[in-house]
Amino acid sequence: MAVSILQAMFSGLALGSIYALVALGFNITHNTTKTFNFGQGEFLVAGAFIAVSVLLLLAGHDFKGSLQQAEVTLARYGLSLIATVVIMGLLGVVVYYAAIRPFIGQGGLAWVMSTIGFGIIIQNIALAIWGPSPMVMPSPLGSEVLRIGGAGVLPQEILVLCVSIALMLCLDVVMRKTRLGKAVRAVAQSSSAATLMGINVTAIVVLAFVVSASLAGIAGLLIAPITTASVFMGLTLALKAFSSAIVGGLSNPRGCMLGGFLLGLIEAMVGLWHAELREISIFLLIIFVLVLKPEGLLGQRVVEKV
Amino acid sequence: MRQYKHLFGVVAFAALVGLIPVITDNGFYLKVLFLIGVNYLAAAGLNVLVGYAGQKSLGHAGLFAVGAYTAALFTAKLGWNPWLAFAAAGAMAGLFGVVIALPALRVRGPALAMVTIGFGVVVEKVVSEWQDVFAGQQGIYGVLPLTFAGQPLDARQWVWLVLALGVAAHLMLRFLLRGKYGRAFMAVNTAEVAAESVGVSVYKYKVLAFVISAVTCGFAGALITQQNQYINSDFITFNLSVFFLLIVLFGGRSVYGPLLGAVVLTLLDAFLARWPGLQHFTYGALLLFALYAMPNGLSGAFAALFRRIRWYERRAVGPERAPIGAWQSQASGEALAGGEVLLRTQGLYKAYGGVVPTNNLDIEIQSGHVHSLIGPNGAGKTTLLNILSGIVPPSKGSIEFRGKSIVGQPVYRICNLGLGRTFQNLKLFADMSVIDNVKVGLHQHIRTGFWAYLLGLPAAARDEARATEQALQILQFLGLQEHARALAGSLPYGLQRRVELARALATRPTLLLLDEPAAGLNPQETAQLVEVIRSIRDLGITILLIEHHMDLVMAISDHVIVLDYGEKIAEGAPLAVQGNPRVIAAYLGTDDEEEDAAPAALGESHV
Repeated sequence: MAVSILQAMFSGLALGSIYALVALGFNITHNTTKTFNFGQGEFLVAGAFIAVSVLLLLAGHDFKGSLQQAEVTLARYGLSLIATVVIMGLLGVVVYYAAIRPFIGQGGLAWVMSTIGFGIIIQNIALAIWGPSPMVMPSPLGSEVLRIGGAGVLPQEILVLCVSIALMLCLDVVMRKTRLGKAVRAVAQSSSAATLMGINVTAIVVLAFVVSASLAGIAGLLIAPITTASVFMGLTLALKAFSSAIVGGLSNPRGCMLGGFLLGLIEAMVGLWHAELREISIFLLIIFVLVLKPEGLLGQRVVEKV
Repeated sequence: MRQYKHLFGVVAFAALVGLIPVITDNGFYLKVLFLIGVNYLAAAGLNVLVGYAGQKSLGHAGLFAVGAYTAALFTAKLGWNPWLAFAAAGAMAGLFGVVIALPALRVRGPALAMVTIGFGVVVEKVVSEWQDVFAGQQGIYGVLPLTFAGQPLDARQWVWLVLALGVAAHLMLRFLLRGKYGRAFMAVNTAEVAAESVGVSVYKYKVLAFVISAVTCGFAGALITQQNQYINSDFITFNLSVFFLLIVLFGGRSVYGPLLGAVVLTLLDAFLARWPGLQHFTYGALLLFALYAMPNGLSGAFAALFRRIRWYERRAVGPERAPIGAWQSQASGEALAGGEVLLRTQGLYKAYGGVVPTNNLDIEIQSGHVHSLIGPNGAGKTTLLNILSGIVPPSKGSIEFRGKSIVGQPVYRICNLGLGRTFQNLKLFADMSVIDNVKVGLHQHIRTGFWAYLLGLPAAARDEARATEQALQILQFLGLQEHARALAGSLPYGLQRRVELARALATRPTLLLLDEPAAGLNPQETAQLVEVIRSIRDLGITILLIEHHMDLVMAISDHVIVLDYGEKIAEGAPLAVQGNPRVIAAYLGTDDEEEDAAPAALGESHV
């Protein structure tokens, strides 16, 4: 029993770090523009498939096909990560200019609809390119199960955990210690005041969408070896990532990380007990949090001015 | 008259559509017609939620599923009568509508959209993974179809059935949305705080909108299931939720929007069904680009072409002018004898972190008087008004209004007790006409209930006519009658302030709180305002106002309360307060040399 709990904890943390990455993507654009990409899940899908294709091309295959374990080395995995970040970053710019910017400041949540529309378009393009069947991406660290305290852990799970924690630490330091981070936080507080202080707000906002899209892409690349890449996995993942953000506090990056890990753990533990209750338990948790602490665990309550 | 014209139009339309199944027995055409009807039904309800109440839901596939599976399980597993199961499907979906509405009371905007997506996904998972009950992808066979004279409906009868249901839904929702309920939904949509402050319970109307949309969506699900005699989990997808929402957004916010949307998108859907990949791609593209091209949907685009004037807008205000005396006597009917204590606070305290905008305040408001609340910026005047009207809960202390404690009461209930207010930063329902703004204020005095409105009973029509008359009287009282038909948001600033006053008066307050009524007014308008406030007082309405125009304060106040840093530093008759050294110090600082010159300065300038 203890062993299976330990095992569930590892996979929960790995999954949770994926949620945390995507949730951070929600956080950074929400803080700077009060909007975010509802198609984030589809971006994650795109990231995963782009990475598989890059790996295939690096191995000398067509962009579609199946990969052998030996063809995925750490170096190639790293290269595909860079390629994914570049392409997804560009996509972030596109989504900002096509689906966010025209609707910012408009009532009626037009940007919610437009980003969902954008996500559906991305999903169907992916469907047209790669087809509906899932693609297997071997982990660069192999698939041999490691034993930690008796619990079986996939090496990819450890990689996911390490890479995402490293990324989060980086982001945290950048946001807190650098000039750029200060500018981003200034825009988050008040974009009009930030403009007056000579900060290029548009550049910061575009950067936020680039980072957000890249994070989703990286999350896709990291999770693909665990779950295989499927065109239809986006919605649920994005939803859980957003749930993490709500639980932890959408306005607080550290809250988003905490929420991600928390949700991953809860999901793994509930899955141990009754696999079909995972989604319901998360939804119940959300309602619970909304009732007790609508601003999230680490979020700040916004006082509405009347 | 116009009512009958509309009815005639609907009957003619229904007769025309009803003829189609007589002319053709092409199964495909009949199926498409049936689907248009079903989609219209779902969208008509969803329009109440999205278009009127302004709550975006992306989880209505979940409610569709509730209706579909209720009909399926109740007939196939429990052997219920198909019509009974059909009715149960609507009821069950309505019940789940309450469930999905609960988070909506806590979160707004994008977070709400996300939570509704969550609801849809959970339902999708439940029906696809809980095999024992819902049979997942395999599906439930043997669902009983609806019957007529003991026989299952044929393809033609299904079309006639959805046509009848569609007409019924259209008529009922039209009755509902043209009156008190439609106004309340719109008010909740545009300014929640303002809606509460004129006596509309935001809570109640949000839940109601969710339930209405859930019921029609549940019926839609039951219709599809009972017509196919089969349902499986593949029906229930996020794309279905998007499709429903798309119909509403594409159609636009009008009672006819869902029909336009349902016709166009169902036909498009049928046309694109051959290329499934392209189908969803098109929805994505439509969602993205329809918003650029037609932010108000198809019906909005049409309406811009044929700008229609609603019935009361054509009504001449001149000869039909009702005597305002009737309204005045009603307005003052509840007024108390002068000189009683109407409102009393004791030890009222509120802190935001280290800032204490309200510090142990004891105030008394005498009925029949005009009280002014003055003090430098940041003294906590607006916070006090917000606490009194229930928008901000106090940390400590008691408020007694007409002998009852109102601490912790919801804002709309405090309003119903007779406490009306206006806002410093105008909170009008900008997209509604001036007269509709005032009629929202009359909301709580229109006693006819939901069912009477839904069924278009004469009582509802009578109450609406009476509300229109009263609203016109109030507008006339404030000299706004010629603007009755204008959109509130389109008026100049000074008039908008007066519309807000009219709206507050419509709630028939015994105590009226005015937050800087003269802010932004020119000297002439300010002088008029003094007259208006006097005549309101003469109606027997007690007034508490915040103002920076000292000449206005001095001219009309019976009693002045001075706040500084959340504390009451002085109160009394205007002249006494004017000379009070603490007041002068608060406004001008404590520099000894200036103290002598100060009272004169206070008397004339705007501080």
